[in-house]
Amino acid sequence: MSAPERKLRLTDIINVNIWDVDSKPHIVVNYDKCKNCPTKACVRLCPTGCYTETENGILFSYEGCVECGTCRVVCPMEAITWTFPKSGKGIFYRFS
Amino acid sequence: MEGMNILDQKFDVAIVGAGPAGLSAAYYLAKKGFKTAVLERGREVGSKSIYGGRIYAAPLKEIYPNFNSIPVHRWVKRERISIMPDYESMISIDYQGKEAISFTAYLTEVVKWMGIQAESAGATIITDVPVTNFYKENNKVSGVVSGEDVLRSDVVIDAEGVNRLVLEASGIVKPLKPELVALGVKEVLKGESKQIEDAFGLSQNEGLAWVFLGAATANTPGGAFLYTNRDSVSLGVVVLLDKAIANVKDHVSQLVESLRTAPALKNYLQNLRISEYSAHLIPEDVWSLRPERLVYDGLLITGDAAGLLLNAGYTYRGVDFAAYSGYLAGKAIEQAHAKGDYSAGSLSSYESMLEESIVIKELKRFRKVHEVMKNGLLFEKYPKIMSGVMKRMFENSDGPSKAWDAINESCKENQYSMLKLLIDGYRMVRSL
Repeated sequence: MSAPERKLRLTDIINVNIWDVDSKPHIVVNYDKCKNCPTKACVRLCPTGCYTETENGILFSYEGCVECGTCRVVCPMEAITWTFPKSGKGIFYRFS
Repeated sequence: MEGMNILDQKFDVAIVGAGPAGLSAAYYLAKKGFKTAVLERGREVGSKSIYGGRIYAAPLKEIYPNFNSIPVHRWVKRERISIMPDYESMISIDYQGKEAISFTAYLTEVVKWMGIQAESAGATIITDVPVTNFYKENNKVSGVVSGEDVLRSDVVIDAEGVNRLVLEASGIVKPLKPELVALGVKEVLKGESKQIEDAFGLSQNEGLAWVFLGAATANTPGGAFLYTNRDSVSLGVVVLLDKAIANVKDHVSQLVESLRTAPALKNYLQNLRISEYSAHLIPEDVWSLRPERLVYDGLLITGDAAGLLLNAGYTYRGVDFAAYSGYLAGKAIEQAHAKGDYSAGSLSSYESMLEESIVIKELKRFRKVHEVMKNGLLFEKYPKIMSGVMKRMFENSDGPSKAWDAINESCKENQYSMLKLLIDGYRMVRSL
C-alpha cells in the first residue's frame, strides 16, 4: 500500500500567496440580501473561500481575495458591491 | 467639474490597464512618438496578471521586433488531451510536433517584459492607480478618472480586462452574467527543472500542454490543464460559471486539489510544492460579451474587455489576441491622428483591421465550439462511454472485446444510442 495522499487545506494553499491587504475592504456585502439567497453560490465558487456559511448567515472576509470577480457574477441577489483594492493593494502575483 | 482635480499634464493617449493589450498598444504608440500614459492598478507591472499558462508566439513576433528576449519558459512541443472518466484512469491522445508555435511562461514575467518594451519606447507607466471612470468633454472620452483625479488625453484605450468596471461605470456594458464567463482556478507547483523534464519525458526547453476533460471538472463544461514551466507546473481547472453554479457541489478549489492528488497524475506531480494559487474569469460566450461597438468617440476597447479571447475547446488563446488587439488599436489611433479626428467614425478602422486579423478570423472559425461545450455530453456522457469501451478492451480477463462490440455495449450501459454517438461525432467534427 502506498502512503495516503497528503490533502491540503485551502487556507494552507492560499497562504503561499503574497498580499498587501488594504485597511478597508474593497468588497461590501449586504448580508440582509443573503438571507433569501437560493444558491449561496459564492460559498462554493469564491476560489479563495472568502465567503463562509454560518448559523447566522453568510460571513465575508476580504483578506484572501484574489480579485477574480466571481462572487459578483454568481450572486443572484445583487448583494455585492465590488471594486478593486485601492492603490496597489491586494494580491501580488509572482508566478501566474 | 466640481470636486475634480484635473492634472496639468495632458497626454496624447491614456491607456487603462498594463496588461498584454494595454502595453502592446503603448509600445506601438510610444514608438510612433505619441505621448502615452498607461494606468495600472497593481503595485508593479504584471503583479495582477494571471492566465492558464501558454502563449501563441506569431502575433507577438509581429508586434515586438525583439521578441527573442521575451521570458519563455518552455516551447510547447508536446500536446496531450486526456479524457478522465474518473481520477484513476484516462484515455489520452498524444501529439508530438517538430515546430513549436506556442510557449509556456509566467504571465507576470511576460507582462513585466512588455512593460519594459513600452517604457523603453518612451511610454509612461503609472502604477498604483485604479481607473474608476472615463473623463468626458462634450460626450467624447477625453481622459480617465481615478477617484478625484482626472488625467486628460486626446484618446483613451480601454484594456482593463474581463472585470469591466470602467466600461460599466460609463454605461457601455452591463455587469457580467454567469453564462458569459468561465472561472479558472490554478496552482503553480514548483520543483527543479530536471525534475520536470524527467517526470514528463521532456528535454531542456521543451514543454508539454495537457488538457483534461471529464472527472477533472466534476463533469462540468470546461476543462482542466497542465502546463510545464521551466521549474514548475501550472495545474488548473476551468468551469463555465453558469454550469458550475449547478454542478460544483464541493468548494471549487477542491477540483484542483483532486486533480493534484489524482492517482492518474501521481507519477507526474511528486515532490512539487505549491508556490502560488490564483484565479481569473475567462470570456467564454465572447460574442455576447462583446460591447456593442469597440470604438466610441475618443475610445477604443481591447483585449478581454472586448471579449477577444478564443476557447478552441482544447486550448485558450487570450494573451496574444489581447496584445494584437492593442497593437491594432495603436495603428488605428495613428491613422485617426493623421486625420486629426478621434471620433468613433474615424477610429472605426480598428474594428475593420480587427475583423481582417487572425483574432476575429479565429474567433469565427471556432464559433460553434462554444455550442458543443455548452452541451454537457462532451464532459459527462462521452467520457463514461469511452471509459466503458476501453475497460472492455483492456481489462477484460476473458480476452479483449472487439472494438465495435465494446462501443456497442458501453453505449447500452450508458443508455445512449450508437447512432446518436455517430451523429454527435459528425457534428463535432463539423464544428471544429
